[in-house]
Amino acid sequence: MSFSTHARLVNPRLGTYFSIFAALFSAIFLLALISEALSIEDRWLRIALFAGPLLLYATIGISVTTSDPLEFFAAGRRVPAGYTGLLLAITASGATFLVCGTGAFFVSGFDALVLMIGGLTGFVVMASTLAPFYRKFGAYTVPSYLGRRFDSKALRIVAAMVVAVPMLLVLAAELRLGAASASRLTGMDRDIATLVLVVVLAVILVPGGKRSFTWAGVAQAVAALLALAVCVATVSTIVTSLPVPQLTHGPLVRGLVWHEANNGLQTVSTWPLAFGLPGEGLHRLTKPYTAPFGAVGPIAFALGSIMIAAGIASAPWLLPRAAATPGVYEARKSLGWATVLFGITMLTVSSAAVFMRDYVLDLVMNQRTEELPQWIASIVSFGFATVDKSVGEFGYQSLSFDRDAVLFALPLAAGLPKAYVYLAMTGAIAAALLAAGATTVSLAAVLSEDVVQGLTWDPATPQSRIWIVRGFIVAAALAGSFLVSLAPTDPLQLVLWALGLTGASLFPVLALSIWWKRLTRGGAMFGIISGFAIASLAIFAGEAGAISLPSALAGILGLPVSTAVAMIVSSFFPETSRHDLEVVRDIRVPGGEIIYDREMRRLQIKKQTRS
Amino acid sequence: MERKERKPYWRSTKWQLLASLIPFLAVMVVLPLYAEQLNANRFLGFPLGYFLSAHGFFLIAVVTVASYVNRQNAIDHWHGAHEDT
Repeated sequence: MSFSTHARLVNPRLGTYFSIFAALFSAIFLLALISEALSIEDRWLRIALFAGPLLLYATIGISVTTSDPLEFFAAGRRVPAGYTGLLLAITASGATFLVCGTGAFFVSGFDALVLMIGGLTGFVVMASTLAPFYRKFGAYTVPSYLGRRFDSKALRIVAAMVVAVPMLLVLAAELRLGAASASRLTGMDRDIATLVLVVVLAVILVPGGKRSFTWAGVAQAVAALLALAVCVATVSTIVTSLPVPQLTHGPLVRGLVWHEANNGLQTVSTWPLAFGLPGEGLHRLTKPYTAPFGAVGPIAFALGSIMIAAGIASAPWLLPRAAATPGVYEARKSLGWATVLFGITMLTVSSAAVFMRDYVLDLVMNQRTEELPQWIASIVSFGFATVDKSVGEFGYQSLSFDRDAVLFALPLAAGLPKAYVYLAMTGAIAAALLAAGATTVSLAAVLSEDVVQGLTWDPATPQSRIWIVRGFIVAAALAGSFLVSLAPTDPLQLVLWALGLTGASLFPVLALSIWWKRLTRGGAMFGIISGFAIASLAIFAGEAGAISLPSALAGILGLPVSTAVAMIVSSFFPETSRHDLEVVRDIRVPGGEIIYDREMRRLQIKKQTRS
Repeated sequence: MERKERKPYWRSTKWQLLASLIPFLAVMVVLPLYAEQLNANRFLGFPLGYFLSAHGFFLIAVVTVASYVNRQNAIDHWHGAHEDT
């Protein structure tokens, strides 16, 4: 039977639509630039750059309203590889890696590469071990996959409880960062900004679920990439006369190596297990940019890369993206695009940090007098940095920078108009909305499909099924905003915890469920539970200082434990189920029918013959 | 796909996975550890260790995924396991 009609499924006008969006987004920015030059009031600029793009996303989200389950849960399985890759890359980086990442590169230099290396490895591992097989299976959520793969409702519910935790953490992190950028842009209170973002998320996601998320998300990803590229490429053109920041910042790095050491930044070495990526708030520059392992120790660097890789490879808010591609080959290709785009984004982020470092170096080298240049004054007036004149001679020790504002400070340092700063903030809000939307929609699907209707494989009628998810989309977004206001935590820390938890609990079981035929449902269940328990205990212990591993890294302890538990339980209590063997054989072959659809149809037929 | 093709197909797939992932993961762990020594050299103005860990690693990742996708598609076609078009 032939079921792959993907060539006809894909909308041929997607390119046109998103070109129109990119043109509109650029038009908003150019209008803002013009109005700034015409000295129109600053407030209107800010409002235009905040509300304009949000209106565009909401329009896209609402215009693809649907009430068909396949569209609502898997975007109709017809999102081409390039768009899926774009979504994967920007969802994985989110505002956290863009905004906090720039700050981390700026403060810790080389050591922040752990984010980039981990993310790239995550995509490579996902491409080869999980994504194509997950696409062949075609389940809407990760717990549904596990439940159907092992034919166990208990496993489905346990997995749903476990995956909900990291998704909620990521949602809180992105909402917090998005709200911080929005309140910087518009001047409104942070709590109100969080609520505004939640309302926007609900408006985008409720009409069409995953389908709305996909197409509004592509627009958000385009906006985030455009904003980042325009800001950094403009600065790059000013400094190096070439608009390719990723490749041209080499001579600047050499300058940094040369001069930073002479101006008081000495190479520091740290304990091998330290994981000192900068936290929220103000930071002084203390180590040279390219010297490795001043903040993150060498062992912690390797462990951190593995943890981030395992987390991203099995992230329950990323993996279902692969199921929305038109076919197994497209799923493989989409991970290729994700690798390319994620790498370029992170290289842009690191070059932004280098340009900023270069401006600061100039300042420190040439400015030992009382008069500070105009740009540092404007950065201070925006609240992006502080200058402390009481510490004797002016130098690196008198400057502190807000980690989450380095990206926004860069256009000011280059003497660009304020519209560039607002554009960077708009990009950060877009990336935050994208990652928050991905987690909201996946979390809502997990809660409604695998928890509320988890006790039956026979879903309610399409109408009620979709209304339940719609309710959970609102509930999930609200839960995220409550978490933001109740327990404000550093977003980067939250995302690292979430990746540690997912990598420890889900990655081994997901990988073994495809690559090791003898994994049993008991093995999968105990693997997930033990990995999650050990990882969360280790994170709490690390936070309390009970173990010498920093909490951001502690999740890695669960990874070997859950692998071992899953394998030992499966080996000691082997089960031979014809269903499991059949599914695992089928999942390994790209050709043929989508397994999830076939299983659902079989259940329907069984039910009909019984009644 | 034919029943007797299953085993050889999965064997090739497994070897392809190992061939893609093991060298890549080895580079991931080992490369940053030598960054400090490599930083003494320069390339395009970048200190070499930093350049290899950022741009170099990115290139290696892209090449690994691209070659994996290409080879795995070829394996699928060879064993008749490909998607129907």
